[in-house]
Amino acid sequence: MFIVEFVLLMFFVSIFAGIFGSIVGLGGGIVVIPVLTILLGVDIHFAIGASIVAIIGTSSGAASTYVKDKVTNLRVGMFLELASASGAIIGAAVAAYTESAALEAIFGTILLISLVPMVIKIGEDIPKSPELRGLSRRLSLKGSYTETDGRVIDYNSTRPVEGLAGTVVAGVLSGLLGIGGGAFKVLSMDLAMKLPMKVSTTTSNFMIGVTAAASAGIYFARGDVDPLIAAPVALGILIGAAVGARILLRSRNTTVRKAFAVLLAIAAAEMILSAAGVLP
Amino acid sequence: MNLKDPESMNVVIGKVLRYGVLLSGAIVVLGTVILVVSNGASETAGFLTYNAGAVPHDGIDVSLAGLLRGLAAFSAFSWIELGVIVLIATPVSRVLISIFLFAAEKDRIYVLITAVVLALLLFSIFVTPSIPGFQA
Repeated sequence: MFIVEFVLLMFFVSIFAGIFGSIVGLGGGIVVIPVLTILLGVDIHFAIGASIVAIIGTSSGAASTYVKDKVTNLRVGMFLELASASGAIIGAAVAAYTESAALEAIFGTILLISLVPMVIKIGEDIPKSPELRGLSRRLSLKGSYTETDGRVIDYNSTRPVEGLAGTVVAGVLSGLLGIGGGAFKVLSMDLAMKLPMKVSTTTSNFMIGVTAAASAGIYFARGDVDPLIAAPVALGILIGAAVGARILLRSRNTTVRKAFAVLLAIAAAEMILSAAGVLP
Repeated sequence: MNLKDPESMNVVIGKVLRYGVLLSGAIVVLGTVILVVSNGASETAGFLTYNAGAVPHDGIDVSLAGLLRGLAAFSAFSWIELGVIVLIATPVSRVLISIFLFAAEKDRIYVLITAVVLALLLFSIFVTPSIPGFQA
């Protein structure tokens, strides 16, 4: 394959990855990695390095729109970043002593199981807002945003400690494998903290850039971020994320939840197949 | 703009992210143009070989001196790398600026939370890669 063909192909794939990644809050790595490894036969290390670039690009590219439109909950994001940044360091520290196939099997299975509550809640528009008390109240983990139909949605959150715990797992996973953090962040905010779906995916989208940046030093220093791959991925992702952000703002919570459930299933399958040795 | 107004935080953070992304994108476009013009008709096979523990490409090294030399020589890969570094720096800048924005709102708890996040982030980016035993 010629360089110009490779650059064009990855550019278009990354636009697609950016659109989906920014809507569901997972960052686009789950599209970029299999295309690189399975379709193009690129080494998994380069694929993960590209995924880090994809995640940071999706996050910053879409967040500028989400933050301005106040769908993202900045305080929830900052609070949970405590957990994801700590988790990323823990993940990097234990990576040398863990078997990545076993980890992928465990985390893939957890994601697969978490599909069940997702599917049960599939038609949910806005969750019943819990009472704001305890730590959530002290940290003002509440918010308000305007829905597509003009309704102003005021919401509170609950169970901040469970949210933190789930987000530590997300950070560890990012630090260990370079992927998969977004899914645990969305699940923590949706299932534990009871935030509206669009708030959960856009706040996850806001945070994944910071978590991926925390791991970026190691991948960059090792030379895993290949400029030939990073260039078309970064450009495509930034365009895709800008498009995806506009789509999300016009979408209903129920649609976003369905899209998330589909991509969650794909992410779980990728991890389990990789653990089984079927995928690289 | 009145920074004490909670609304302004969204505006400022949105702008930091937007400008970071635009700057990074512009630099990567420059690198990509140089790449395609100078090497577009080369085969990818020679470039995508992963050597564990080694820099990925001939003439590219991830050190600061190597990067600066490459930029001066208009090396496509060095310019792309610079764009990627700006991309990585974007969320980090967002965290840094948020500390001041929370301070302007006199929200002490969040000044503390965000400062801790920044410390963890800088530790993770600059210190962990040089600790032996971190990452295989």
